[in-house]
Amino acid sequence: MNLDFQQFIPSLPYILKGIGVTLQIVSMAGILGFVLGIILSFFKISKFKFLGWIADAYTSVFRGTPLVLQLMLIYYGSPQLIGYKIDPSTAAVLSFGLNSAAYISEIIRAGILAVDKGQSEAAMALGVPYRPAMMDIILPQAMKNILPALMNEFITLTKESAIVTVIGVTDVMRRAYIVGGEKFSYFEPILIAGLIYYIMVMVLTVLGKGIERRMRRSD
Amino acid sequence: MIKVENLHKHFGKLEVLKGISTNIQEGEVVAVIGPSGSGKSTFLRCINLLEMPTDGRIMINGQDITDKSTNIMKVRQNVGMVFQHFHLFPHKTALQNLTYAPMKVKGFSKSEAEKTGLELLEKVGLSAKAHEYPNRLSGGQKQRVAIARALAMQPEVMLFDEPTSALDPEMVKEVLDVMKDLAHTGMTMAIVTHEMGFAREVADRVLFLDGGVLVEDSSPEEFFSNPKSERARDFLQKML
Repeated sequence: MNLDFQQFIPSLPYILKGIGVTLQIVSMAGILGFVLGIILSFFKISKFKFLGWIADAYTSVFRGTPLVLQLMLIYYGSPQLIGYKIDPSTAAVLSFGLNSAAYISEIIRAGILAVDKGQSEAAMALGVPYRPAMMDIILPQAMKNILPALMNEFITLTKESAIVTVIGVTDVMRRAYIVGGEKFSYFEPILIAGLIYYIMVMVLTVLGKGIERRMRRSD
Repeated sequence: MIKVENLHKHFGKLEVLKGISTNIQEGEVVAVIGPSGSGKSTFLRCINLLEMPTDGRIMINGQDITDKSTNIMKVRQNVGMVFQHFHLFPHKTALQNLTYAPMKVKGFSKSEAEKTGLELLEKVGLSAKAHEYPNRLSGGQKQRVAIARALAMQPEVMLFDEPTSALDPEMVKEVLDVMKDLAHTGMTMAIVTHEMGFAREVADRVLFLDGGVLVEDSSPEEFFSNPKSERARDFLQKML
């Protein structure tokens, strides 16, 4: 095995610039997925069966088809859907956001249902209406339970974001691939990309542990 | 003050309350006693509509709370409840547990709510624990905070659903003492309990439920020394 990392040192800044692209897509998709996920989870626990049905159908479709397919549908389908082609990173944010909303809604739904029923009864008995009881009493406790699963979802999102390569977004993965093509040697740049992803995931993991510890203060 | 007329409650096919009628006067302390599964908790939970009665009426201060047009939240603000398992909010300190609902629902300012909250904690002997989270409190302390939390809404009636059943024996007294003090202030109270000594000493009246039926409605002296029904005699024999 003859690895030659030397020749890739000049290309390193180019690859590293991809981190910004990756992080931007992941963070925006993460926010979109989280907000939409909360809304969908409320639909799922709603007493209006119709809303629950919509949310379940949504989850079913987004979990039942490959992410890369959703990405390509949104990117290549946009001219027919809305009349013009959206740019690749918008397509990436949209598809990742919509996709992870499906998973996050399940995580949050389970987290809300796991909070002791006595908590909502105690709030009700004090005359606190549903919405503030949910926001101030149930959700904060649910968040504590779901944080590990949520962090897991964001980690998955970070790694899976590498598939934006297929629609030409110049993220870490794509840049490594381009550099490999220039030098006719893919092994080393892709190893470098792997290391970058691994470090990003580790940072996320440490961050998650920190937040979790803070939230467990009242335990 | 509370008038219960022909109260029925079904859970699916199961009929838990089979037509209960009684009155609770202002300032009266009523102990609700009976074997498990007799419907005494359900009876209590109907009074603040945590359970919706299937049939019958409940009037509080002349207002029919089972009427569809009644604002349930307003009713509950006026009827405090203490649970067997406390149900304190674990992510809030003792004081925050007391101030949350008055600020959120009654529109008290933070300083007002905290002032009342601290007074109430003082009353239940826990001012030192105001800034502790519930997990740092013993069972008895948790229940005293829960009582203070219900009182913070300045209710006219207090409901207690087996308030000492989940406590270690040595903590029962501190909670009962708080309840005794509360009874002496003239609070209207309905207490589901297995503490016969307490019922005998503090209650003005005893309601004995069995199988969803109000079997006896009498004074504690009469109930404990000379129960009218076979079922009550049987029950007391097993308890004492």
